[in-house]
Amino acid sequence: MSDGLSSLKEEDVQRLTRLIESLDASTFDYLQLRVGDLEVTIGKRAPALTGPATPTYVVPPSPLGKTSVGAAPTTPAASSAPSSAASGPPPSLQTAPTPPARATPSGSGAASTAAAGTIEIKSQIMGMFYSQPEPGSPPFVSIGAEVKEDTTVCLIEVMKTFNAMTAGVKGVITEICVKNAQLVEYGQVLFRIRPS
Amino acid sequence: MTIRRVLIANRGEIAVRIIRACQMLGIETVLATSEADRDAMPAHLADRAVCIGPARSTDSYLNFRAIVTAAKATGCDAVHPGYGFLSEKPELPDACASEGLTFVGPTGDHMRKMGNKIAARKLAREAGVPTLAGSEKVSSATDAAEVAERIGYPVMMKAAAGGGGRGMKVVHDPSKVSDAFAAACAEAESAFGDPTLYLERFIANARHIEVQVLGDKFGNVIHIGERDCSLQRRHQKVVEEAPAPGITNALRQEICQAAVGLARNIGYENAGTCEFIFDEDTRNFYFLEMNTRIQVEHPVSETITGIDLVQEQFRIAGGERLRFKQSDIGFRGHAIECRINAEIPERGFRPNAGLIQTWVAPAGPNIRLDTHCHPGYIVPVFYDSMLAKLIVYGSTRSEAIERMRRALELFAITGIGTTIPFLHFMMGRAEFISGQVSTHLIDDVMPDFLSQNTAAASGAG
Repeated sequence: MSDGLSSLKEEDVQRLTRLIESLDASTFDYLQLRVGDLEVTIGKRAPALTGPATPTYVVPPSPLGKTSVGAAPTTPAASSAPSSAASGPPPSLQTAPTPPARATPSGSGAASTAAAGTIEIKSQIMGMFYSQPEPGSPPFVSIGAEVKEDTTVCLIEVMKTFNAMTAGVKGVITEICVKNAQLVEYGQVLFRIRPS
Repeated sequence: MTIRRVLIANRGEIAVRIIRACQMLGIETVLATSEADRDAMPAHLADRAVCIGPARSTDSYLNFRAIVTAAKATGCDAVHPGYGFLSEKPELPDACASEGLTFVGPTGDHMRKMGNKIAARKLAREAGVPTLAGSEKVSSATDAAEVAERIGYPVMMKAAAGGGGRGMKVVHDPSKVSDAFAAACAEAESAFGDPTLYLERFIANARHIEVQVLGDKFGNVIHIGERDCSLQRRHQKVVEEAPAPGITNALRQEICQAAVGLARNIGYENAGTCEFIFDEDTRNFYFLEMNTRIQVEHPVSETITGIDLVQEQFRIAGGERLRFKQSDIGFRGHAIECRINAEIPERGFRPNAGLIQTWVAPAGPNIRLDTHCHPGYIVPVFYDSMLAKLIVYGSTRSEAIERMRRALELFAITGIGTTIPFLHFMMGRAEFISGQVSTHLIDDVMPDFLSQNTAAASGAG
C-alpha cells in the first residue's frame, strides 16, 4: 500500500483532486476506479452492498411508453411549479427527481450525519418550504451562515399553518437543498450543516 | 372527464385499485404515502408519490391537512380517499371543497348525516326503511337496562360514531348490562373519540346483506345489486359474495329498493353502501348503517355486472350524469371474494407482519386478484393485515365455490402466515356450500378447523 501511495506523482494527485471535485458536484454517492494494481474509492457515503437487500417493486418500462405523464418510477419527484392557477394544464409531473431520504434514517431529531462531515437537516413534516419569513425579506439563512441549535432556518407551511424549523445543531450551512416555495416531503433533506 | 390529476390518500391494494382505474381513464395519479410505504407497489405504479409523514397513520394517512396541501402543491384537481383512514371523515371533503379540489366521494354533509348511526336510523325510518327495535342515545347503564327491558334481550350495544365492529357488545341478560355498557363506552371513546352508545335488538340467526348504490349530482340513484357479507369474525368481513344466496327475487328487489329510496331521500351522490341485517327466522330485513365510501368488497358487484365502480366514482365526481338507468344493469352469474389476510387463524386470527418470501398467485379466466404484495415485500406492522382480495366468477354459485377452492390451493405464500388455509376450509364446509351462511358461522366451525389442523399436524408426525 505504501508503495502504491509513494508512487503517486503530482500529476496523479491532481487527477484525483479533479475526480473528487466532479464527484462532489454530482449526485453519485461514490466512485470506484481500478487501474492496474491501484484501486481508488472516493465516496460521500459508504458504497452500496452488492445486490439489493430486499427486492422492491419496480415497474418495468412499457414498449409502448406511458400513456399519461410519467415521472421516473423509482424516485418521487418534487414539483418545480407548485402553481394553484386553475387555468391551463397542470404542471408536468416530470421534474427533477428528489432522492427520497431513505439512506440515512433519522434518529431522535431531524439531523443525521453524512459521510463528508456534514449533517443533513431533514423536514419533519410535509409541506411548502419557505426560506424567508415573508416575500421580499432576506432568507433566514444562506450558505456560509453560522447557526445555533435554536436558529430558525425555514418555515414549512401546511394549509396556512406555518411551522418554524430550527437547525437543531450548531455549525455552518454548507448547502441549501431545496428551493423557496417548493413542496418538501416528510424526511426530505433541506440543509447540510458542517457542525462546529 | 374533467378530472385530470388525482391525489390518492390511501395505501395497499385499494391504492393500486384506484391507480388502475385512473390509468384506464387517463387520469394522472399522485400517491400520498407514509414513510413506511414509500417503496411499496402503489408508490411505483403512481405517476408520482409524495411522502406526507411518518409510518404512524395519525401523522400521515389520517392527516387531512397534509393530504390537501400535497394535492394542491402537486397540481391535483381531485382527491380519492379509498376506504378506511379519512374516507368517511367529513373534514376531508370539506377541506377539499374550500380549496377548490374535487372530492371523489359524497359530500361532507352526506358523511355527517350517515356517520352518526342514531341519526342514520332516523333517516332510514323517514325513508320508510325498516330499522330494528332500539333506542336513541343511552346515557347510562341504568338507562341501557331500561331500554333493554323494553325491547327484550338479547340486545346489541353499539357506538353512535361506530363502524368496523368496534364498540359493539351483545348483552344476553340484565346482570351483564353494566359491564357491557362500561366496556362499549371505553371502546367507542378510544376508537372514535365519542363514547355515545345506542341499543338495538340483537338478532341471533342473522345474515348481513348490503346494497351497492350509485348516485350522481343530478338526483339519479341506482343500485348495483346486493352482496352477502355474513361470514365475519369479530364483526369483520372475511368472505363476501354476490348475489346473496337463498333469498327470493321479490325480497332482493325489496332490499335493493329500500337502499335506493334511502339514498335518493338524502340526495346521496357517488358510491355508497346500505347495510342491512336479515333475520333468517322471520325473513325480515332491517337497516343497519350506510357506508359513504367505496367498500373493500366492491369487486364482487363489479364481477357480476361488468361495471367498474371506481371509474364510475370518478365520472360522477367529475360532474357527469350516471351512464346507466336501473334497467341497464344486468346481473350475471355469481362472484365470491376471499380476503387474504396476514393473520394466523389458529391463534385467533392474530396478525403477523414480515417478509413475504414466496408469492405465487393463482391466475386464469374468471380469477381476479387485487393486491399490493409481491415476493420480497415486507408487510409493515403499522397498518391492517389485508394482503389481497381474491375474487372469482362462476356461472353458478357452486361453480364459483369450486373455482375459489382451486384458486386458494394454487396460492402459495411463504414467509408469513395467512388466512388461506382457513378460507380453503370454509369453501369446503357443507353449510357454506348449501348457502346456509350466517354471522355466527365462522365461530361455529372454528373448533372443527382447529381439530382438523391438530389431526393433520400429528398425522404428519
